[in-house]
Amino acid sequence: MRNTFATYHPIIEFGFFCVVIGIGMFMIHPVFLAIGASAAFIFAILTGGRGSLKFTLCFLLPMIILITVINPLVNHQGATILFHMRYSYVTAEAAIYGLLMGMMLAAIMLWFSSYNKVMTSDKFTYLFGRIMPSISLIFTMVMRFIPNYKIQIKRIADAQKAAGGGREAETLKEKIHSGIKIISIMFTWALENSIDSADSMRSRGYGLKNRSRFSIYRFDRRDGMAALFLAVMTIIVLAGCISGACHAEYFPEIAFAKATALQTASYIAFACICYFPVFIEVKEVLVWKHLESKI
Amino acid sequence: METFRIKNLTFTYPEKSRPALCDVNLDINIGEMVVLCGQSGSGKTTLLRNMKPLIAPHGKLEGLIEFYGTDVNELSQEVQASRIGYVLQNPDAQIVTDKVWHELAFGLESLGMDTKTIRLRVAEMASFFGIQGWFHKDVNELSGGQKQLLNLASVMAMQPDVLILDEPTSQLDPIAAGDFLTTVGKINRELGTTVIITEHRLEDVLPMADRAVVMDGGRIIADDTPANVGAILAKKKHPMFMAMPSPLQAYAILFNEGMGKELECPVDVRTGRNWLTKLMAGRTPSVTELKADEESLPKDPETGKTPEPSIEMKDVWFRYSRNDSDVIKDLSLSVYPGEIFCIVGGNGTGKTTAMSLAAGLRKAYRGRVKVKGRTAMLPQNPQILFTEDTVREELKDGMGTMATSDFLDVERLMDSHPYDLSGGEQQRVALAKILQTEPDILLLDEPTKGLDNELKQKLAGILDELKKEGVTILMVSHDVEFCGRYGDRCAMFFDGKIITTNAPRTFFSGNSFYTTAVNRMSRHIFGNAVNVDDLVELIRANE
Amino acid sequence: MSEHYLLISILIALLALVPFFVKFERRNVQARELVLLAVLIATAVAGRAAFFMLPNFKPILAIVIIAGVALGSESGFLVGAMAAFVSNFLFGQGPWTPFQMVAMGVCGFLAGLLFHRYYAKADSFSGRKKLPLLIFGAAAVFILYGGIVDIWTILAMTPHPTMATVIMVYGAAVYMNVIHAGATVIFLLLLGGPMLRKLNRVQIKYGMNEKRCIDNM
Repeated sequence: MRNTFATYHPIIEFGFFCVVIGIGMFMIHPVFLAIGASAAFIFAILTGGRGSLKFTLCFLLPMIILITVINPLVNHQGATILFHMRYSYVTAEAAIYGLLMGMMLAAIMLWFSSYNKVMTSDKFTYLFGRIMPSISLIFTMVMRFIPNYKIQIKRIADAQKAAGGGREAETLKEKIHSGIKIISIMFTWALENSIDSADSMRSRGYGLKNRSRFSIYRFDRRDGMAALFLAVMTIIVLAGCISGACHAEYFPEIAFAKATALQTASYIAFACICYFPVFIEVKEVLVWKHLESKI
Repeated sequence: METFRIKNLTFTYPEKSRPALCDVNLDINIGEMVVLCGQSGSGKTTLLRNMKPLIAPHGKLEGLIEFYGTDVNELSQEVQASRIGYVLQNPDAQIVTDKVWHELAFGLESLGMDTKTIRLRVAEMASFFGIQGWFHKDVNELSGGQKQLLNLASVMAMQPDVLILDEPTSQLDPIAAGDFLTTVGKINRELGTTVIITEHRLEDVLPMADRAVVMDGGRIIADDTPANVGAILAKKKHPMFMAMPSPLQAYAILFNEGMGKELECPVDVRTGRNWLTKLMAGRTPSVTELKADEESLPKDPETGKTPEPSIEMKDVWFRYSRNDSDVIKDLSLSVYPGEIFCIVGGNGTGKTTAMSLAAGLRKAYRGRVKVKGRTAMLPQNPQILFTEDTVREELKDGMGTMATSDFLDVERLMDSHPYDLSGGEQQRVALAKILQTEPDILLLDEPTKGLDNELKQKLAGILDELKKEGVTILMVSHDVEFCGRYGDRCAMFFDGKIITTNAPRTFFSGNSFYTTAVNRMSRHIFGNAVNVDDLVELIRANE
Repeated sequence: MSEHYLLISILIALLALVPFFVKFERRNVQARELVLLAVLIATAVAGRAAFFMLPNFKPILAIVIIAGVALGSESGFLVGAMAAFVSNFLFGQGPWTPFQMVAMGVCGFLAGLLFHRYYAKADSFSGRKKLPLLIFGAAAVFILYGGIVDIWTILAMTPHPTMATVIMVYGAAVYMNVIHAGATVIFLLLLGGPMLRKLNRVQIKYGMNEKRCIDNM
């Protein structure tokens, strides 16, 4: 998938996800949820394609329905009683609130699915390398070891199978023992090899004072503009949220704050933030259309 | 001034009475390329590691190692890290980060350089090593050869004065090894970096070297130009002589018999060819070929008939999954009891896959695979067979029944931890372990990888014993010299199938590129010399 | 503020990680220990590949517990938290990540606190002495891991958790937790001895055996 947003500086990307996920969880409000969920859905399709669509239909939709159903069953607040059951009753407020909660969760899951595509391991290491140098180095090493270990596990499994004349484990007990044996061999091998890794680190001066950090990321003008834009929009949204201009109440009755200029501004600002990656993607496509038409 | 000056160095490991290094004296001049050779356990690695105290082993050190006039043990960690570059054996274990660019910058980060300087250094190194193309890649996408080049580049980015390489190519295939050594040569020539390197396969590295130093039992027994070292070893009849490049061996044997005394000693195929031309100049050789070995199949000693093949593959096709392309295409082969069948060929041609079909690990989707008898497979890395904490436990299942234990020579290793053994010892223990099942068919994947010459001979002896007991041996190898000397039949694997099969002498004299060094240097005069003995025999016959 | 329980609980979970991480960063860790921790984390995450025949058998928590026993509570927490984080990095991060990090971290931490000294000798994990760790393993999965991780499920289901929700969520999780606990106990039983011995061996062989005690936590 093409993903222009992923070419921005990691700090912009990480900040973006913090803001949309944070505000998305904080604001249980129909307008915010509609903006957030729609933007999250489109961005997820842009980054994940068919997979994201399948994820939404097969997992998120049932989840929304489930939460909408469960919430009024366990939550009896609300003034409008829809119907009575044997020992209990269901309120309209609780049902609507359940629906909104479901959508909020779905939006967050979708943001995370894009997050997983955009925030690759090296970006993560870059972001946290400065404040947590040792832990981020461990993280880098782990990301390097895991694929290696998986290959090694496969080799060991083959060697074990070949030693057993090509026979596979059949019973549960055999399968467990075979797995334990494989892990145990892999672990020994990994431990012994780790000594070489440590020597190679020491040999290249790991542990000296004043270790610096190199990265291939550069914070350029484009990133600066994006940061400024997103920061201003976030301040507007936060102002709207904290001042109560976007307040929503569900129990005992559903009530929204009066429409004000700040409220509208908050909606627009939140839309600007959420749709930012989609917007730059569209812009990129148009720029290229234009460039190619000139050739 | 010298890069290193080693004076009366003696080193003893803790709880050992015999020193690992004994009164070593060695000067390494600035800009020199020195090859350090010796059998496994001769103290090469111990010596190299002591030159960089950051990674030196624990133990008692006497004597002095000076680096540009300063005792190495008084060098600061910064100086050691930046000025003494060290590349280890295992390409995989040395890489610590998951991205190529990050690995290149790792050492520079340790030295606390700023981003601008690192960017320049990294860019320079990537260009010098031609790795711009994979700069952004995940380390795991690289091949073994690329990984080792990355390790080299990462060390070179720190711009060391000296580069120490401890068997850097032992885990690589010959082509990747050649590429790697070419780059090391380039560093030495174009950057003037002093290079100290140890190697088992000397054919590629010795011609580039200014000096060869031979160690045995912790002592230096020869220190001279490669050519002279060959002569010294020949005179001493030292086992290390067998590890020298074949042209040098042939020269030294004949030199000691008084032939070609006026000629210069050859170190590689090119100079070997010239040497042979001059040696034979003015003579029309009367004998140009040795008796061709028929493609002889093993015969039953009583009936005199060829037995049934124990592995038979007929028109076999295989791929890993439905959407992949075929790895094995129309492969047919028969291997008989009591023979050593060698498959040679390039990387990624499907050799190893063919063997896993014989082992029953994979199933062909078309064609017939018939395997008669119990199979056992020795993986490339024998370590992956070890589960226990001592060799004794490792072998406890079938010690009594194993008649083969004495020639495997594992008795004295019984109480060691399998991982504390050397590569050759590990391989023998692994062999002992898989031989416990008393297999009829032994499958070997690159069994000579990382073994020195003496260990290869030992392995050949073991295989010979097994062959006599009627075991079928199928091996896959890059080591043409080994296959040419010890195989009964050799097969060339290419593009998923076997192209030709023949007895070694016929096989290798039929190939012009994929063949032994002796064959390449002598083919313009002799028809089918494959190893040094052949060549010497032919030259003597024409005397 | 009741509708913000979810957000608040995630922030609390993240904050709970901070002191451990800060402590670790301050302690100028040597290369060998760093690599050793990375090996344990990677083994915990990649280990499930060895059980490709039994997809529900995940050794991750057992290995975290073993790491805690072998290296002490601080390292146990780090291995646990990082293993959860990396595992989510590969299979998809979500709002549950901080909960899993804390849950696994706490399992590793307690394993170290309770058993680091008890199993200090290489061969002490044998015979009847295995029992305490096995019981701890089962309890850790059930109470600590199951308990902490499902806080997220409860808060995601409804913003006003009632007893009914809690019982429903934990009730639904019982089946999975039983399998997980069973697998963890089996792993500890079979893998505990060998892994502790191997860790002990490298620590001695490569001079990493200055075991840090719980006192200086």
